[in-house]
Amino acid sequence: MKNGPIFLLGLFVSAVVAWSAMVLGAHAQLGGLTPWFDEAEGLSHPARPTGLAARGQLVYADLGCAACHTQQVRRPDFGSDKARGWGDRQSVARDYIFQERPQLGASRVGPDLANLGARKPQPPSSETLMGLLYAGTERHPAYPFLFENRRIEGEPSLRALKLSGVSAPPSGFEVVPSERAQSLVAYLLNLSSEYDFPEAKPLVRTPANQEAKK
Amino acid sequence: MISSPTQLASPSGDATDRGARGPLLVAIGCSIVWLVISGVLSLVSAIQLHSPSFLAACEWLTHGRTKALAETSFVYGWAGGAGIAAVVWILGRLGGNPLRAMNWYGAGSIFWNLAILAGLAGIATGDMTSFSLLQLPRYVQPLMVFASASMGIAGLLAWSGRRRDGTFAAHWYGIAALVLFPWALTAAQISLLWFPLRGVLQSVGAAWYFDAVVFLWIAPLALACAYYLTAKLGGRTLPSYEAAPLSFWILIVTATWSAGRHLIGGPVPAWLPTMAVVGLSMLLYHFTVIALNLRPALSLSGPVGGTLKFGVLAYLLYGVVAFVTSFRGVALRTQFTHFSSASDLLFLYCAASMVLFAALYFLVPQVTGRDWSSAGLTSAHVTGVRLGAALAVVALAWAGISQGGMLLEPKAGFADIAVGVRTPLLLNTAAQLILLGSNLLLLVNFLRSSFTCCQASAEGSAT
Repeated sequence: MKNGPIFLLGLFVSAVVAWSAMVLGAHAQLGGLTPWFDEAEGLSHPARPTGLAARGQLVYADLGCAACHTQQVRRPDFGSDKARGWGDRQSVARDYIFQERPQLGASRVGPDLANLGARKPQPPSSETLMGLLYAGTERHPAYPFLFENRRIEGEPSLRALKLSGVSAPPSGFEVVPSERAQSLVAYLLNLSSEYDFPEAKPLVRTPANQEAKK
Repeated sequence: MISSPTQLASPSGDATDRGARGPLLVAIGCSIVWLVISGVLSLVSAIQLHSPSFLAACEWLTHGRTKALAETSFVYGWAGGAGIAAVVWILGRLGGNPLRAMNWYGAGSIFWNLAILAGLAGIATGDMTSFSLLQLPRYVQPLMVFASASMGIAGLLAWSGRRRDGTFAAHWYGIAALVLFPWALTAAQISLLWFPLRGVLQSVGAAWYFDAVVFLWIAPLALACAYYLTAKLGGRTLPSYEAAPLSFWILIVTATWSAGRHLIGGPVPAWLPTMAVVGLSMLLYHFTVIALNLRPALSLSGPVGGTLKFGVLAYLLYGVVAFVTSFRGVALRTQFTHFSSASDLLFLYCAASMVLFAALYFLVPQVTGRDWSSAGLTSAHVTGVRLGAALAVVALAWAGISQGGMLLEPKAGFADIAVGVRTPLLLNTAAQLILLGSNLLLLVNFLRSSFTCCQASAEGSAT
């Protein structure tokens, strides 16, 4: 490897080949994904998130929530995601096409949130999420800086949190969620990938359709 | 201007380093300061893992950001800064000529540290990108590319202006690290931040960049130091050295194909995790040749030899762990748990940083012209950092395995998982405390030895 230019060219080619094969190869497969239009419902899926929810994703990214939460449901037979009620089907690339910065995450210190807005029997209400964000629990950190603790002038604000116990504000004061808290909660409650895309249905090889293939 | 090698005086031992002393010591000093800062941040992040209310009211140190701050200051500030300094010095020594373009290196290293400082301020105030190992905000990244490229110029010139025609393994790995990092960072930031890919393709690009930093930057930096030190301290030619070129090219060509190991079971094409198993199984040849080549390092001792031996063994262990955890059956349990942060720590701390510590303990006396100021501080640091790193990896691996088992059990709620994982996480906090303490000793030791060296040269020039 005495010849400098050939050596540098080899480095460059191996880096470019690996990058383009992985990233551009996957791009060739998934880059042109379009939303799925369902004639029966007359709707196209996935729905584009509202402006507030889309901004909430950036708050989610800024606070680094992906350090403890994932947003990817695994196949029912690969892990316990379905048994834990995190999602009936595997997450597919089409679920993320309208997300500006998908937060797949890599650590499940906390539960998976891909279907938080579609939890059975019913999803958490925005009050419970606001309470969790403001006061936290002994397993979840609090984010008091997302809220404003201010004196009540005249009427208490409609958005004031109904808090009790140790985290309740002193009398004459109210805790009002900031715009970031509202967009974060709107984003969390908007997280749901309920629709069954064709590629999401597991390929079940029953003897019947093996016969058909022959 | 960059002077051609022939005009300079014949290189005697200290003349090689006289011109390079200032920039190298400043760069190494800054990287050790980043090591201590990242130690404080990872201690805070480790405490927040088992008691989330710690510093929760402080927006800058909320857990997500503390983890990103610790990871960024460690990888870019410490491993990048010290690694490039060590490799530039080694390339100068192997070239046999005094280091040229050290003004480029000095300016590049100052801008590198300023860019990291601005990037950490950006992360703390909410501009983090949420891609692991690429958390630095968008506005800082172009400066990082130019700073790392200008730091690499000194190494490239030492390589191209070398007096002997042949090249050594330390040459290949050193030049590969200096050249591949700016390319990888450019490709990553263009495809993720400036003209973002759509949807999950960002996760594919981020996984590729993660493996590019691990296998195309930090690993070659550490391997360049390991090959040089093993040959230098072992005192004889490296066994089965003829296999080294192929092992080098296998690392460069196939390592980043293993990026799919971060996306097993995810919403990405299934051939990506499968390619990761193929890539990592080909990398086993690379790790085998590293084991054969660096065998003499396993019989060394002392501050330099001891840390080098620990680093080489940890690097081989990381190769096996990465290969095994890329199988879907194993990943079912270790994915999304503390085990993956244990294997990252195994590579970043136990393997790469130990080799960089050995390189620093070897090269600082040669650059300053006198020994480290206190042998006691050196041995205390070396023992403490090996103990702390091993304890942290074992604690996180234990936490990961028990967490993985409980995650697979649908009836085990997150309250039970938190109870089951508490003890190893407390152990991890203790290990981070040991690491922070011993790295403070390294900082004190370095400041004293470089201070006495600058004082001596000030008197020398004054008389």
